[in-house]
Amino acid sequence: MPQFEKKPEWLKSKFNRDAVNVVAKLLSDLKLNTVCKEANCPNLGECFEKHTATFMILGSQCTRNCRFCNVVHGAPQKVDPEEPKHLAEAAKKLNLRHVVITSVTRDDLADGGAMQFAECIYELKKLDPAPTVEVLIPDMKGDKAALDIVIAAKPEVINHNVETVPSLYSAVRPEADYKRSLDVLRYVKEKAPDIRTKTGIMVGLGETKAEVFSLMDDVLATGCDIFTIGQYLRPSEEHVPVREYVRPEVFDEYKQTALEKGFSFVASSPLVRSSYRAGEALATEEMK
Amino acid sequence: MKEKITMPKLSDRMEKGVLVAWDKNVGDEVKKGEVLFEVETNKVVNEIEAPCDGVITDVYFEEGDAVEVGKTIAEYEVK
Repeated sequence: MPQFEKKPEWLKSKFNRDAVNVVAKLLSDLKLNTVCKEANCPNLGECFEKHTATFMILGSQCTRNCRFCNVVHGAPQKVDPEEPKHLAEAAKKLNLRHVVITSVTRDDLADGGAMQFAECIYELKKLDPAPTVEVLIPDMKGDKAALDIVIAAKPEVINHNVETVPSLYSAVRPEADYKRSLDVLRYVKEKAPDIRTKTGIMVGLGETKAEVFSLMDDVLATGCDIFTIGQYLRPSEEHVPVREYVRPEVFDEYKQTALEKGFSFVASSPLVRSSYRAGEALATEEMK
Repeated sequence: MKEKITMPKLSDRMEKGVLVAWDKNVGDEVKKGEVLFEVETNKVVNEIEAPCDGVITDVYFEEGDAVEVGKTIAEYEVK
């Protein structure tokens, strides 16, 4: 019998079979991956029921092996030239007003996958009405030429997650670099001030509150607009363990502090993921 | 018409799910979207919603049971 760590009462998620199946079939027919499915997202039921999803381009195999992530580490797949068109078709069929695109990390590609991100944005912007677009990009090794390709496609939001506090990088993101991730956010904002920048972290990995507050300062110093905080949830026994189920009132405290420090939009609660209700975040931002 | 409620596949690697709570009993009327039962997986407790209105006629598993994906957990008469 499978044994699961007892979850606190606030970690509950709704699942509607029929709604999930409709969206899952559409995505499967168009040969599209979603991070919702690949990362075993706890919000999949809610988001698919609302006909929203976060597309994951450039295959389902990641060239990095982060210790928190459920996406499979393995040999990268061939880039599908039809993927941008399929993605736009899915966005149209789902009537998405805000589209979130992420990818596996593709350290094997010279541009880190930047051109595929750009092609997807261009295809989405051809739709009438064109949706707003948010891209959740890997660090692309900090390559400015690659970042320029994504910036030139003019998505409304460029998100790059710093994921956790710097002291935990070696255990959680061994192939990433905290400073490089901050530099990605800084470069995007300097190059394109009109594009909203966004980042997010997971908590419950063993970080202290002081470290989270310090990270907020580091991120704000890059000019970042939107900040998300959610509970780390262990995908399997092979991943780093949950050190703490952070209580909802602590998420409220983080949100309050982040807003006081100067972020213009903050989403902070146990089941927040970086693309959860992303359209609402942008809509709130645009009203300012 | 009877509707079968099966153990959903909540992740690609899921083979079984642990039924941790029943929110409804045999004979209960359920509305579409109401929670029928709860299944624990690695990440969270999933509240499984009724796909349509009906009355529960049979339940085949108890709280604490590990149920294979696809197995019928309950049946109900669709209204």
